[in-house]
Amino acid sequence: MNALEKLFTRIVQRININLREQEFDAGPYVWDLIPKSQMTKFYAFYGISPDHPLNLQFRHSGLAGSYFLGKIQVTNSLLYKTDVRGDELKKKDDHFQFGKFEIPVSKDEEIVIEDSAFVKTLIHNYSHDPETLEKFFIKDTISTHYANIHGSPSDGCFLGPFSTVDLTTMRDSVIGTFSYVQAGEISHLNVDPGTVWVNSPHSFNFLYRFPLEKLKKYIHFEAGKQPEGILMDFVEDRKQDFQRVFDVVNIDPPANIPATASLDRYAVVNSVVEIGENVLVSQRAYLENSVLGKGANAQENCFIINSWLEGNNVTAHGAKIIEADMGADVFVGFNSFLRGQADSRLTIGSECIVMPHTIIDITAPLTVPPGHLIWGLIQNKDDLKTNSMPLSELAAVETAFFRGSMFFEGSGSDFVSAFKGRIHHILEANGAFYNKDANTGQGHAQRNQNMSFNTIQPYPRGDQEGLFPTILIQP
Amino acid sequence: MDTYQIKDLMVPISEYATVSEGATLFEAYLALEKAQEEYDHNKYRHRAVLVLDQHGNVIGKVGQLDVLRALEPNNANYELFEDIRKYNFSAQFIIHLREKYQMQAEPLTDICRKAGQVKVEDLMITPTEDEFINIDTSLNTAIHQLVRGSHMSLLVTENNEIVGILRLTDVFAAIFHTMKECEI
Repeated sequence: MNALEKLFTRIVQRININLREQEFDAGPYVWDLIPKSQMTKFYAFYGISPDHPLNLQFRHSGLAGSYFLGKIQVTNSLLYKTDVRGDELKKKDDHFQFGKFEIPVSKDEEIVIEDSAFVKTLIHNYSHDPETLEKFFIKDTISTHYANIHGSPSDGCFLGPFSTVDLTTMRDSVIGTFSYVQAGEISHLNVDPGTVWVNSPHSFNFLYRFPLEKLKKYIHFEAGKQPEGILMDFVEDRKQDFQRVFDVVNIDPPANIPATASLDRYAVVNSVVEIGENVLVSQRAYLENSVLGKGANAQENCFIINSWLEGNNVTAHGAKIIEADMGADVFVGFNSFLRGQADSRLTIGSECIVMPHTIIDITAPLTVPPGHLIWGLIQNKDDLKTNSMPLSELAAVETAFFRGSMFFEGSGSDFVSAFKGRIHHILEANGAFYNKDANTGQGHAQRNQNMSFNTIQPYPRGDQEGLFPTILIQP
Repeated sequence: MDTYQIKDLMVPISEYATVSEGATLFEAYLALEKAQEEYDHNKYRHRAVLVLDQHGNVIGKVGQLDVLRALEPNNANYELFEDIRKYNFSAQFIIHLREKYQMQAEPLTDICRKAGQVKVEDLMITPTEDEFINIDTSLNTAIHQLVRGSHMSLLVTENNEIVGILRLTDVFAAIFHTMKECEI
């Protein structure tokens, strides 16, 4: 057993110790997920720019195909094709508002990863935990394909494929396949597969649970096997396109990119794509024959194919939009899968909120009216009736509401306000409202233009094969 | 309280309602009715039935709540309510949800069929370690055990055999009696 295998064995043991109460054994799930032979095959890379503080420290870790930006420490960990984006970390002397507390940030925040393993995971945003503002920690944690750890410190957790933990500190918990959790803080919890849970204690609580038999067709994960289903097939079918952009050192950007927009050099652009002002396209995004109107964004692991986005559209990490027409200000949440057909397009009206982890997969044309909340699994018009409602109707809910497999308790008005506020913040952070004449409202779309990329390599052979030497990268 | 001992307050096993493993819910009810008729009517009525294996050992207990739970119209929904409880929904919300689902189903449907078909093993609760107490233990310790475990009764043992049932209601009556004799 070489150093890399020993490290992986120890990481699995750490997770199992943390999850012993739930009698969860991560080993059978993950042993074959990280291809040990591939850990030497791919370089890791990092961004440098005048706009992002830099402090990268890698120790005794495998980083194959992974990307880093900002202030990040990685120790005793294995990262496979994982993005760690520290471009929204708090800075010294910022103030963090938590309830009635306005907390000063004493030093620049860092992402600190220890004794963990990730497969094709996105780690982004900043720690929302008022107890650890300067340290966004992730330790003793394993996450699998296309999981998102977004603003969520983690200790002793396992995340299934296509799961997302958002703005939530998690400890000793298992997050099931294709589950989304935004709950502030969870501990010793086993979240069932296909659960979409948004909880703001004392304000509102939203829960939807997918019918597992139907979800299985889209994503299914069992011990000893790779994740299976339409979502995996969809991504794997386009893997070669990404291989091309990662193999080439210098890529000429398409000529028609406005000066206020940003198209990452590690994004794939196929066929004719029209990109408007203030558009942000992140690395590992995939665009094909589509139009992104002013202020729209396509975040990591997004796929936008044969679609039209009016403008100020948020397409959150991992969301997929195929054969669809999206009105202005439509939000599509994490890992959603929206698939129309060439002759049966999907139309979503302006200012709709598509909840994270929504699946719309249709064979006849479907139109969602403007200003609706949409969730769950929708395959036809009948499903749309049970899995959507006008935002105005939800805002009028004061105590409780049930529809289909969706349960809601609390203030609908608070829920709608919280979502709209967050969508506005995402657009603002991404530079959607940038005014080039006044040079105000800069965000990622403008700052990311000043980015260069460097690559780093692991030991190619020997006992340390697949691991990277200790590397410190500082200004 | 030192004047009371467990053996004074317990119901002897011979006077308690028991059924054998494999009995139906209806047979359990008949055993309960018979025990109530035979037992001293001045004392509190029996509320549970003990389930015995073929050697006469107690393997479970069927209480009123267990019976009602078995008769609920749709146990799948019951599991759903229990399941979503972990996602921070309030007790009030669960009650609201339960009422909504119950309105869609006729309560206590099929009661006769269920009474003749449901086996006691399917609804009995297996006693946990802290539901047993030795007959020589002090009543203070027994009270602590009842309170700590939120138990309705304890199984009293002597020489590793169950000899009686110490019920919360009898312990409470004894405490109340002692209180009344206080000079307050």
